[in-house]
Amino acid sequence: MTAKFDLNDDSLVVIVGSGAGGGTMANELAQKGVKCVVLEAGNKLSLDDIENDEWAMFSKISWLDKRFSAGGWHGARNHPNLPAWIVKGLGGSTVHWAGVSIRFQEHEFKMKTTNGEVVGANVIDWPITLAELSPYYDKAELKMGTTGEVTGMPHLPWSADFKVLAEGARRIGYSKITAGPMSINSVERDDRPACQQIGFCMQGCKLGAKWSTLYTELPKAQATGNCEVRTNCMVLMIEHDKTGKVTGVVYADAEGKTQRQKARVVCVAGNSIESPRLLLNSASNMFPNGLANSSGQVGRNYMTHMTAGVYAVMPGEVHMNRGTAVAGIVRDEAHNDPKRGFVAGYTIEKLALGLGFLSAFLVPGPTGWGRKVSGALEKYKYMSGVWICGEDLAQEQNRIELHPTEKDQYGLPAPVVYKTDHPNDTNMRNHSYQQMEKIYNALGSTEIYNLPAYPASHNMGTNRMSEKPRDGVLNKWGQSHDIKNLFVSDGSQFTGSGSPNPTLTIVALAIRQAEYLAGEMQRGHV
Amino acid sequence: MYNPPMQVGASAAARTEVTRRRLLQSMMLVTAALALPALPPGALAAPLNADQKTTLLRVARDIYPHDDLLDDAPYQAVLDAILVEAESSPEVADLLSKGLADLEQRAQHIYKANYIAISKPEEREGVLRTIELTDFFQKIKGGLLMGLYNNKTLWPKFGYDGSSWETGGFIDKGFDKIDWF
Repeated sequence: MTAKFDLNDDSLVVIVGSGAGGGTMANELAQKGVKCVVLEAGNKLSLDDIENDEWAMFSKISWLDKRFSAGGWHGARNHPNLPAWIVKGLGGSTVHWAGVSIRFQEHEFKMKTTNGEVVGANVIDWPITLAELSPYYDKAELKMGTTGEVTGMPHLPWSADFKVLAEGARRIGYSKITAGPMSINSVERDDRPACQQIGFCMQGCKLGAKWSTLYTELPKAQATGNCEVRTNCMVLMIEHDKTGKVTGVVYADAEGKTQRQKARVVCVAGNSIESPRLLLNSASNMFPNGLANSSGQVGRNYMTHMTAGVYAVMPGEVHMNRGTAVAGIVRDEAHNDPKRGFVAGYTIEKLALGLGFLSAFLVPGPTGWGRKVSGALEKYKYMSGVWICGEDLAQEQNRIELHPTEKDQYGLPAPVVYKTDHPNDTNMRNHSYQQMEKIYNALGSTEIYNLPAYPASHNMGTNRMSEKPRDGVLNKWGQSHDIKNLFVSDGSQFTGSGSPNPTLTIVALAIRQAEYLAGEMQRGHV
Repeated sequence: MYNPPMQVGASAAARTEVTRRRLLQSMMLVTAALALPALPPGALAAPLNADQKTTLLRVARDIYPHDDLLDDAPYQAVLDAILVEAESSPEVADLLSKGLADLEQRAQHIYKANYIAISKPEEREGVLRTIELTDFFQKIKGGLLMGLYNNKTLWPKFGYDGSSWETGGFIDKGFDKIDWF
C-alpha cells in the first residue's frame, strides 16, 4: 500500500514538513490522486513514546537545532537559543498544539482597511476574505473533529480550573465564555477515542483524542498509495532550472547522506522559521536573495502573537493539572476597539502548567529564583492561570535571518530570529494584565504573577500572502509570486496573525491550496 | 548551482545527548563572568572543604527556599551531582571554588560576616542577587530547578499529580469539582 517513489521521478509534489500545513496538504493531494512525497526533518514517534511528563517530552519532541533569539523581547536574554517552542518530529507542531480551533474574525483579514496605517508596523490586508475561507473552515473542522456546530460534537465538559476562570470572568461582566471550539474529541469520532481529561495535551495526546496529522492525515495519505513519507530527512535547499522553475530539493537523509529528490511542484511547510530559512538558503546566481524573494519580504514580518501569562493563587484548591491543558476560552476582548489603547484584540485562554514548567516560567530566565518563586510553587494546587493570545502586528524588522558564521549540524547557516514588541503589543499586554487582575481579584485572589511571553509556539508571517507582489511573497493561493510551481503551505503564509491560534486557519488554507494546486496541475498550468 | 556541504546527519542519539545541555543553556544567561578576586592559581582547583560544602548547601536552600516543605536531601543530591562532576572537571571545580570565594568576599564586604553567618534570609538573598548572573550561580540554580521541581518523588509534597494516563485520566476523578466560590 505504502508508495515508494524514485528520486528521479519529476512528476511528484514534494512537501517539506508534516505538520498542520504539510500533513494536510499530503492527505488532500493524495485523496485527489496526486502523488506526493513528504520530507520530515524529525523522527517518527508513536503513541507509545508519549509520556505525561513535561520535560521528558520537551526533550523528545522540541525543535532544538541551533537557533538564536534576537531583538528587544526578553527571550533574547532569557531564551537565547530557544526563540520558538515548536516540534521536530512527524506530525510537526500538531503533536504539541493544545487544540484551540477558533476562526479568524472578518476584520482580522483586513486590518489595514479597518485601522489604516499603524505607525511602525507593516500591516496589509489579506488577499482573501472570511467569506472565501469559510467553506474551508467547515472542511477543516470536519477533518479535525472540532467541537461545535459544524461537527455537531459537543464542547468538552468544564474542568474545575476553567470554572474558576469563568466565574471570575462572569463577575467582571464578561460573557463570551466557552469550553471550545477545540479539536479534541468529546465523543469517539474518526476512530479516535474521547478525551479522558488526562492533561498534558501539549506533550502529545496519549490517547490520540486531540487531532494531530501524526495519526490522522499522514496515515490516511499513505493508505491511498499516493503518498510516501520519509522521516529524518532535512531539506537543505530547493533547486531550480534556467527558467526559474523549481526542479526538486536536496536533503540530508537519516544516514546524513545528501539526496536529490526531483519534483514537479514543491510545497514548503516547515513552520515560520524553517520555511523562510530554506528559501534564503536556496539562493542561487539567478535568485541571489533567495527563492521567491523579489519583494525582499522572505523572512520579514515575523509574527508570534502578542502573548503573556497570568497565574494567581486562589482562595481554594484548583488542581489546574487535572484536565485538558486549555480547558476553555474567554473572547470578550477579541474585538477591534482602538479606544482600549491598541488595535486588534486578544483571547484569554485557560492554560494549565505542571510544576516543572511553572517553576521555569513563573519568572523565566536567570533571575527566576528566590523566596517569591519557591513560595508560589508551594501553593501549586491553589493556582490557576491563563495564556493571553492577541494579534501581533507585522513589522518588517521582525524577521528570520541567516547567521553570518554559525552553522547547524547540517552545515547550513543557523537562523537568527528577531522579535521586538510594537507599542501596540505592549499596550495590549498591559491591558490583559489589568483585566486578569480584575478577574482574579473578583475571586478573592491577590497573589498574582504576570508572566512575559514564552518562546513562541505560534510563528507566522515570514512568507506572507499579498495582493501585490511587492508587498509579500505569495499570492492568495499560497503560491509564490515569482515561481509558479513553488508553494508555501504553513503559517508563514499569514498576512496578519489575527488573534486566533493559527492551526485551524493553516489547515483551512491547506485544504484550499490543495484544491487549487490539483486543479492547476490538471490544467497543466504548473 | 551550489551543492551544500554535509557535515553530520541528524541521528536521534546525537539529538538526545545534546538536549538537556541545550535546554539548560536556553534557560540560562551566558554572561561575562563578574570580576573575581585575584587568588593564587592552583589554590582554586582543590576539592571543596567541609565548610565550603556547608556554605554551598546554604546557598542552594536560599535559591529555592522550602523551609518547612523539604529537608536537605533533595538539595544535597543536586550538589552531590555537581561535586562529582567537579572531581573530573577542573573547570567545574574552579567554578565552584572561585564562585564561593567571590560570594564570601561580597558577604564580608557588605555584612562583615561569612555568608552562612548572615542570619536574615532576605539579607542572604540580597548577597546572592549580586552574583545571580554568574556561571557559578546559574549552574547551581539550573541543577536545582530540575532536581527540585522536575523530581517525581517530590511532586506529592507540592500537590502536583504528575502522569495520569495510566489510571485513566481525571474524567472520573473529580476534574470538574470545585466548591469554594
